[in-house]
Amino acid sequence: MKPKLVLGIIAIIAFTSLLMMNFSESISTYTDFETASEMKSAHVPGTWDNTQEYGFSKETMEFTFYMKDEAGEVRRVIYPRPKPNNFEEADRLVVIGEMRNNVFYASEMLMKCPSKYNNADPSEYTKASES
Amino acid sequence: MPELGPAAGIIGKWLISGSFLVSIAALVSYFFASRNDDAKKLKIGNWLFVLKGTLLIFASAILVILLFQHQFQYYYVFNYTSLDLAPKYIWSAFYGGQEGSFMLWIFFSWVIGLGLMKWTRAPYKAPVLFFLTLTQAFLLIMIVGWHFGDLSIGASPFRTIAEEMPNAPFLQANPDFVPVDGTGLNDLLKSPWMMIHPPILFLGFAMMTIPYCFAMAALWKRKYNEWIGPALPWTLGSNLSLLTAIFLGAYWAYVTLSFGGFWAWDPVENASLVPWLIGTAGIHTMIIQRKSSVAQKSSLLFAILAYVAIVYETFLTRSGILSDSSVHSFVDLGLYNLLLIFMFVITGVGMGMFFWRYKELPSPDKESRILSREFMTFTGAVMLFVLGLVIILGTSSPILGLLFNENPTPPEISFYNDWSMPLAILMALLTVLGQFLFWKRYSTESLASALIYPLLVTSIATIATIIIGNVRDAYYMLYLFAAYFAIVGNSWVVFRLAVQKPKLIGGSLTHVGFGMLLIGILASSAYNSPLLDANTRNYNAAVERGEVTDEQGFKKTQTVNMLILDLNEPTIINDKYIVTYEGYDISDQNRPGQQTYKIRFQSIDGGKPFYMYPEAYPMLTTSRADNVNWAVDPDVRTGLFSDIYLYVAGSSFIEQRNNQVRKQNLVQPASDTEAISDTTSQNIKFKRGETIEVGGFVFTFSNYIQADTTNLPPRTSIAIRAQLQVRHPASGQEFLIEPLFAVFRDDEQSYVYSPPVNLSGYDISFQFSKVNPGDDSIEITITGLDEVYQDEWILVVAEKKPFISIVWAGTFLLMGGFSISIFRHWGREKAKS
Repeated sequence: MKPKLVLGIIAIIAFTSLLMMNFSESISTYTDFETASEMKSAHVPGTWDNTQEYGFSKETMEFTFYMKDEAGEVRRVIYPRPKPNNFEEADRLVVIGEMRNNVFYASEMLMKCPSKYNNADPSEYTKASES
Repeated sequence: MPELGPAAGIIGKWLISGSFLVSIAALVSYFFASRNDDAKKLKIGNWLFVLKGTLLIFASAILVILLFQHQFQYYYVFNYTSLDLAPKYIWSAFYGGQEGSFMLWIFFSWVIGLGLMKWTRAPYKAPVLFFLTLTQAFLLIMIVGWHFGDLSIGASPFRTIAEEMPNAPFLQANPDFVPVDGTGLNDLLKSPWMMIHPPILFLGFAMMTIPYCFAMAALWKRKYNEWIGPALPWTLGSNLSLLTAIFLGAYWAYVTLSFGGFWAWDPVENASLVPWLIGTAGIHTMIIQRKSSVAQKSSLLFAILAYVAIVYETFLTRSGILSDSSVHSFVDLGLYNLLLIFMFVITGVGMGMFFWRYKELPSPDKESRILSREFMTFTGAVMLFVLGLVIILGTSSPILGLLFNENPTPPEISFYNDWSMPLAILMALLTVLGQFLFWKRYSTESLASALIYPLLVTSIATIATIIIGNVRDAYYMLYLFAAYFAIVGNSWVVFRLAVQKPKLIGGSLTHVGFGMLLIGILASSAYNSPLLDANTRNYNAAVERGEVTDEQGFKKTQTVNMLILDLNEPTIINDKYIVTYEGYDISDQNRPGQQTYKIRFQSIDGGKPFYMYPEAYPMLTTSRADNVNWAVDPDVRTGLFSDIYLYVAGSSFIEQRNNQVRKQNLVQPASDTEAISDTTSQNIKFKRGETIEVGGFVFTFSNYIQADTTNLPPRTSIAIRAQLQVRHPASGQEFLIEPLFAVFRDDEQSYVYSPPVNLSGYDISFQFSKVNPGDDSIEITITGLDEVYQDEWILVVAEKKPFISIVWAGTFLLMGGFSISIFRHWGREKAKS
């Protein structure tokens, strides 16, 4: 084989491995509160527990609520931003952040709303900070 | 126009089914016309093609009429419109759903097909129309809505609500039930930007089919060079459309949504960016193929892959696959299998043909030198393609992430940024070398000397930016250098060309735009700063030093990026503006119950004050009686150097409304204790001249007066009375009360003397409890009101975004450059025929 071709193949393999390595590091797995306590940054899906107090506090400038994860565990979640608009409407939440002493500190929150608009418009994404 | 009946939907379904069957017949005709070069079959195919589109147009017309006639027995009409929807947004509703957007996409594709019928020459004509018809047949089957037993094929826009929700109890009770009103179009989509965005996007999708068809025709007919001529202007046109659509979507997201940016690497955004990148790669290789007869293989490959990318992203965003593992909410219409087949056929036929003919595809005789336009342009194309692949990888995380774990999340945003930044730097540097070499041959020495002045200007601009913008990050410095080099170097070429051959500046102009885009993206995202008051900024600084702990004793890591503004209380923000919230208006004009908040900005150095008007409104499509959903509409003040972006994330008004709703929902009619008057005291702060409404009264603090000291203790140092006008609008009564505030000394101690004053006829008393000379306000303690007064405030998120204008300017230059190139390449094609 020509040396150029060999070089090219090596370059492609190196690039692909690097890309896939970085990709595998940047994706995470959906988990529950129990496992999240051992993780630095966890994605926990669940539903809002609407039987308990929730709301935005002007004193701490945080939005707090209780969420039930898919294993059925309920934990308090603190989200350091205003209450997202369609929070009550969401039928599924994903909080991203870390667990500290049974309280989940979310840095980001995603909401899945019973969507009625299904065309390819950016309005469908429901990052809490974007709604 | 007479009211259409139930037959209209059935006719609509038949029209779409007919259109699909006719397009299968056209497909067969075109196949034989291509294989046997049969002119008669081609003619039959053309007639069928025209018939197919005509049927589709009638079907679309029926759908539009049903939408305008508010025929809510049709699910599509019910789901996307309502009686109060403005006519212009009924058009938006037409392509607001998947089914309608497929119709629009086919319509554009068909119109372009008519053009191809007229302009395309042999031997490409029949095979091009064959492949175009193939893609249209796939799009049509998505909306036929056939049912064979348990098997259903496609989702018809004409299905009734009874077909959509066969198990709904109200329909089982009364099968002919027609809802009085529809659920309505999503409020966020009621925007002029969102009206024009989908048509332009689907026009781009439709045009990107053309290079695919030409590439396939070239492979079929073994004519690997001439197809570039007609395919190039279509690819350019598609890119211009996609770019415009991306721009409209980005601008809409910026001014409508509250994430405060124009790009979030979301799958739906990536869905239009990736085909654009691959299409652009194709444009590059087509241009060098035309000039120098090289890169035939890659032109074919990119032309195929650009359309494959469109179909693949359509599959990702419409099949519901993203909603399984992420929270991106796409409704699955049961099109998963059809979309999968569509994708495999388009990819399989495309790549299959490519590899089948691979051996006989022309190769360049000798390899290009590194310092040649061929090499540089080709490398640029490869970079664009690689960037496209990286983004596809990220977007495909629900599928490809399964390689790494069972339940993969989307990648972090940093994945996209980390990979696109070095690629962008390389691309920016290549654009200049490529453009210089494109118009003239250079040796290493002569190129270096030609680039001396551009490099000098670039260095000065970069250093100036680093100093003025206080750039510390070495990576950003390199990025800035590359971006400025793209702007300066390509502008050099633009000016030189503009003198000699102004028609040819398209390409160089797009590269200038690309450089500007890079500068704008960095400035507006990396140097985006929240607007905050001094207290919050001190707090954030303390958080960053790790000095703040929460109630559990953990160090806080999140800074606060919002602030509360009290009514009429000026707040100094970023040591630059005095910001005052001056109240809100409620109007029902655009959106019922919309509040427009009025916020005054006054620069500390003087100058003219300006106002910003963010809005909040109840989202009617998702609000229920027991739960109001509030949506925000930010206000953006656009400036040449920076934008101020601001929205109201909460307010005392919204909180009160929510409390009211919550109170109404309490099911305690008999023991309603809430209304019983609460005789506790409350302190209310009044500014001089301020009026406050609470508990059915209106209080105005008009002024102070010196109190008569004759009846007061002898050593009184201060004695004033507040003049408080009290109005009870329900009875029309008015009172003036003058509570006393006095300070006297006794035994070296100061005492405050403020006796309560009763309001005659009511069980309410007033005490003048405090004077705040600092802001000219007083506090009155009122006892006996049955409502607690709440301050009026708003919670504001405000950001300063530098040089977002450069992002738009760069985009416009790209659009301008593409347009010039379209005219040039189209003009040459026209001249040929």
